[in-house]
Amino acid sequence: MTSELVIKNLHANIEGKPILRGVDLTVKQGEIHALMGPNGSGKSTLANVIMGNPKYEVIEGEIWFKGENILEYSPDRRARMRLFLAFQYPMSVPGVSVANFLRRSLEAVREGNKSLEEGENPSGKMSKRKTIPPGEFRKLLQEKMRLLKVDNSFINRSINDGFSGGEKKRAEILQMALLEPEIALMDETDSGLDIDALRIVSESVNALTGPNLGILLITHYQRMLNYITPDYVHVMFNGRVVKSGGKELAFELEEKGYEWLKPAEEENGVSADVRI
Amino acid sequence: MSESKVSAPGFSRAAVEELSRLKGEPDWMLQLRLHAWEIYENTPAPLGRRGDLGTLRTVANFKFQNLNPFTLSTPPHPTDATTEGGIPKGHTAVNRVPTVSPDKSGVLENVLEELPLENERSGLLVQLNSSVVRSELREDLKLQGVILTDLDTAVRERPELVQKYFMTECVPAATSKYTALHAAFWTGGFFMYVPQGVEIEEPILAQVWLNTPLSATFSHTLIIAEPQSSVRFVQEYNSLAAGEDPALLSDVVEVYANREARVEFSNMQDLGQNVWNIANKNAIHQNDGSVTFVIADLGSAVNLETIGAGLQGNGSAAELVGVFFTDHNQRYAIHSLSDHIGLSTNAETMVKGVLTDESRVEFDGMIRIRPKAQQTASFLSAHGLLMSKKARGEFIPGLEIAANEVSASHGATSGQIDEDQLFYLMVRGIQRPEAERIIVQGFFEPVLQRIPLEHLRTRLRRSIVRRMSGGYETEADTWIDAQERWEIEGVDEVAIHLDDSTREGNEDIKLTEY
Repeated sequence: MTSELVIKNLHANIEGKPILRGVDLTVKQGEIHALMGPNGSGKSTLANVIMGNPKYEVIEGEIWFKGENILEYSPDRRARMRLFLAFQYPMSVPGVSVANFLRRSLEAVREGNKSLEEGENPSGKMSKRKTIPPGEFRKLLQEKMRLLKVDNSFINRSINDGFSGGEKKRAEILQMALLEPEIALMDETDSGLDIDALRIVSESVNALTGPNLGILLITHYQRMLNYITPDYVHVMFNGRVVKSGGKELAFELEEKGYEWLKPAEEENGVSADVRI
Repeated sequence: MSESKVSAPGFSRAAVEELSRLKGEPDWMLQLRLHAWEIYENTPAPLGRRGDLGTLRTVANFKFQNLNPFTLSTPPHPTDATTEGGIPKGHTAVNRVPTVSPDKSGVLENVLEELPLENERSGLLVQLNSSVVRSELREDLKLQGVILTDLDTAVRERPELVQKYFMTECVPAATSKYTALHAAFWTGGFFMYVPQGVEIEEPILAQVWLNTPLSATFSHTLIIAEPQSSVRFVQEYNSLAAGEDPALLSDVVEVYANREARVEFSNMQDLGQNVWNIANKNAIHQNDGSVTFVIADLGSAVNLETIGAGLQGNGSAAELVGVFFTDHNQRYAIHSLSDHIGLSTNAETMVKGVLTDESRVEFDGMIRIRPKAQQTASFLSAHGLLMSKKARGEFIPGLEIAANEVSASHGATSGQIDEDQLFYLMVRGIQRPEAERIIVQGFFEPVLQRIPLEHLRTRLRRSIVRRMSGGYETEADTWIDAQERWEIEGVDEVAIHLDDSTREGNEDIKLTEY
């Protein structure tokens, strides 16, 4: 069965300030969606809310994934359902090697869709857990690294610690390759990359696409779309998806900018702000 | 059959005299004890400063008089010719460890079996309560003149060394009320002498075990490393007695590193949370002598610890690596001092700890650079990670600089775990409790990398994982795999991400060519 991420009338605030004002969007496994829009339109917020970032408060609406409303699920459970987020600003975790982290992450994701309560007994101790033998894990990781042409030294460094912008983005793609998500959200993966790094990262993404992976590619430039061809393009403006279309919409945006899409009712956007 | 001699509760001059008589000590040691007892009686207990977290005041209110000052064990065959007055001499050390309660002995032996194999260590010392019950040293080292024995034997056989070094210069008896008590009532004790030029490759292991509640145990370690010698000494404190009744471990460690000597002293304290631990560790460095202290504190109810480096000799070097993990209602007060006296000395202090539940930790790290200590380089960093809203940490670095050609820097922070880091790990499928544990592991990693002994490092990793509720055994294995076998390189020590809002007002100070 094809997995589907369905977002219905999603409203979300950060620190009481409304950011998402009724987002509707559906992404299916095997499809590539580009989500475009000017800075501050709520694209990154949407990605964070889909993953359950506790900084944002969902006011209204639903997020369905694989037939379950995941709004109440913890971020880790969403990830174990094989939702993935490639961060715009990946956090560094000093002292934890990429290898160690990825192994534990893969073990967790392979456990699948389980809530915390199911996974842990009342004492807080996990009764059992399937571990991946180091040898098997190393083989798998090296296979993915070859596929993405990632340098071997990568895995012994601390997560994102002292990584260049390009290295961080490539590390995100490596994680995506390893964890094999069904739907991946890629938040501004092109930002901060020079033209060579952009090409390498895009090629990596292309190497992973196929019928088992759905992608929501968040960007405010059209340039990454020179390498990755979307099936659908959506434009976000002021917390809402205001226009959807095929890949030609991206070229139109490149040419005309975003202003022409500004919806009429947002002219008196104040009313939207005070609604909450 | 094992027996034990337990004193009546209460510290007193009469108890000092009784202890010394039971041990059959020479008069000079009795006089040393009595003098120390006088100091104890005439010295007020330190109370800390106004507004601190109150650990010193808590210790001052501790009911010392409810404790038995000593619990001397006798070996199973007390017929040995050297036995005097029913008290065995440590060098007659038995092959198995006697315990006061026979049902506990199994536990102790199991633990001893987990020690590194005999060919991975150069010697072994075990103290149970007030008595050293086991002492071994490799034959070839004995032939080279190395001495490893209990302190009673050293008092008898090498009085000139004990008189010169025991609580005189390194940790003088009058350092504080508690060191005076220690000098008056020391029992058991480890003595190590490494002759000039002897380099001991495999570590010496020393263990102190407590199994009697409502008693005081005094553990003393005296290490004398002669010029160009080297030794690694690994010491552990453990207790088997459970329950509410308090016990006391007073420990003093004195290290003398003579010219170009190298001493590496590691201490892992994993006492039960009914034990109060008062510790003083110090080193005296002669020219080009170097001493590394690796101190891991996990247990005890209260831990009052002073760790020093007396850098008297020109070109001497000190390193202090500290790791702690507190939970429940534990209270720690840790003071470190890098005392730069000689020319061109070097010190580095690096402390990291995690605080959970309602535990409290005060850390006070002082760098003192004396007027003649030119070309000093001294660094100190201390970081506390607070895992609970009720835990409290105070990390205070201090600098006293009286020389002008100095490079010194210090920094101390404490803060909560970073929510963005947590979210990042959770988005990779890892549940929050485990994500916290991973961040804690990463937080400790830079200090763990500084611990030279793999055996100790691995034990510490396991203890840390075990201390965090919900940790799987396999997590420890994964961590050890990743860090020990795959090896991690270039961990950035200062890049630990802490929530800036809870950062304390102690900004890093950098003084170069001051």
